[in-house]
Amino acid sequence: MADKRIPGIQKCIAVLWPSFLTAVVASGLFFSAFDPDDLVAFGADLEISRLGIYTIGFLLFWLVAAVSGFGTLYFAITNCLRNTPDYPES
Amino acid sequence: MGARNTTGSAKTGSPDEQVEQLLYARQEKIYPREVHGLFARLRVLGVFGLLGIYYLVPWLVWDGRQAVLLDLPARKFHIFFVTFWPQDFIYLAALLITAGLMLFFVTALVGRIWCGYACPQTVWTEAFLWIERKVEGNRMHQQKLDAMPMNARKLRIKATKHFLWLAFAAWTGFTFVGYFTPIVDLGQRLLAFELGPWETFWVIFYGFATYGNAGWMREQVCKYMCPYARFQGAMFDRDTLIISYLPERGEPRGSRKRSADPAELGLGDCIDCTLCVQVCPTGIDIRNGLQYECIACSACIDACDDVMEKMGYRKGLIKYTTENAMEGKQTHMIRARVVIYAIIMLAIISALAYSVVTRTPLGLDVIRDRNQLYRETVEGLIENVYILKILNMDNREHTYRLGVQGMPGVELHMDIKTIRVPAGEVMEFPVRLRVDESDLEARSSTVIFTLEATDASALQVQQEGRFLGPG
Repeated sequence: MADKRIPGIQKCIAVLWPSFLTAVVASGLFFSAFDPDDLVAFGADLEISRLGIYTIGFLLFWLVAAVSGFGTLYFAITNCLRNTPDYPES
Repeated sequence: MGARNTTGSAKTGSPDEQVEQLLYARQEKIYPREVHGLFARLRVLGVFGLLGIYYLVPWLVWDGRQAVLLDLPARKFHIFFVTFWPQDFIYLAALLITAGLMLFFVTALVGRIWCGYACPQTVWTEAFLWIERKVEGNRMHQQKLDAMPMNARKLRIKATKHFLWLAFAAWTGFTFVGYFTPIVDLGQRLLAFELGPWETFWVIFYGFATYGNAGWMREQVCKYMCPYARFQGAMFDRDTLIISYLPERGEPRGSRKRSADPAELGLGDCIDCTLCVQVCPTGIDIRNGLQYECIACSACIDACDDVMEKMGYRKGLIKYTTENAMEGKQTHMIRARVVIYAIIMLAIISALAYSVVTRTPLGLDVIRDRNQLYRETVEGLIENVYILKILNMDNREHTYRLGVQGMPGVELHMDIKTIRVPAGEVMEFPVRLRVDESDLEARSSTVIFTLEATDASALQVQQEGRFLGPG
């Protein structure tokens, strides 16, 4: 990511952790409303156990939230910090 | 990772930049010194109590089944004598709101008690620190060990520690999955190496999270990752219980002989032994005042009280107090904020308890046959077909009486004589309604299905359906 002053690991945690929490809430809400056994994806019945669908659903929610978080990080840092005087050029 | 220094402004940084540097600097490992005393005993009690609950609860049996089983594969939550269904989601939401409010209430009253004694992060970290101490020795031994170059002895000690940590974490992960799939069965399949891929994934995931958070991250979780730590300050006021050092009594700090009279030397009670800093799990100096990193674990109180006793001074140089008390004012336990939190909390808890107790463990869904709007029978009657989904959420089998209301002259037909649904099952029953065309007032009329258990009249529900005709 753009800002060299923040260690990469910290940026990763800053994105992955809130998106993890969001994914927990989102999958909780989603699977309370929808039974995996009733779901049909792309016209095909899913032949995966409920526990499997829950897991995949959770990981997908996490992925989506993390993508959004990395996007925010990328745009926020490049736009705000590029103009600061001590911004290190790569 | 300390990339901040590349800009060369480290020495001349403004306070803001210094803070930034602090936030982004590589973490120094904290070696909390072991502490004994009243609060340390309370925390150990908390650790044993809470971890005991966590590891034992899945093994409890109630009525021949696992007492607490959040059976995700079967979409049923068993909690002792009650079984919750996805339809009962509202209760879970209410429970979470109650838990949130309770945290607000407790925080306003006694500060970060949660962080210091009950938070899973604290509790598991305590357990991991204990293992570390047993293997590596006390704080001094740990620091020495980390400073020395790798050799056979160091490798052996480190490997032992990580093995024990991983074993404990794996057991934690296994227990976690045991809340969601029957744990006895899970254990048997684990021993036979027959765990499913998803169960294996979650055991490893949760185990790894425990190992990482309690073994490696520790106080950094509280400082950087915990949302509660960020907003708890909003619940604080001048009457909230905090842990504080009393500067008027302690300053000016300084070392002295035990026999020396501090008044003669012009010193306060603080002998500057830095034990309060050494025992702090987040590595702060409580003498700098109330800080966001303080998780109110009271290790510094225990450490300081011990020193005060040895010096023959009064205890309580660091103690539980409030801002008002420190300024010599009255502390008000009961105040608007606390009362309002309490009222909202009690209202939600009562509503929740009332609705759980009076909840009808019976569900009825009416689904119209989608293939045909209506059909005419040979007798010339208009017929609609429905599928009734009956959900017996009770823990025993029932037979039900079905009725229909809201339409004059309507006849109910079913292929079977009795509607019987076993405990905790959903069953579908096809039902036909017939009515004479002259009794129909419009193309679409409302019809009400009523369902009542034959052995318990309190078990009854009704559900609306639509009856379509030629109009």
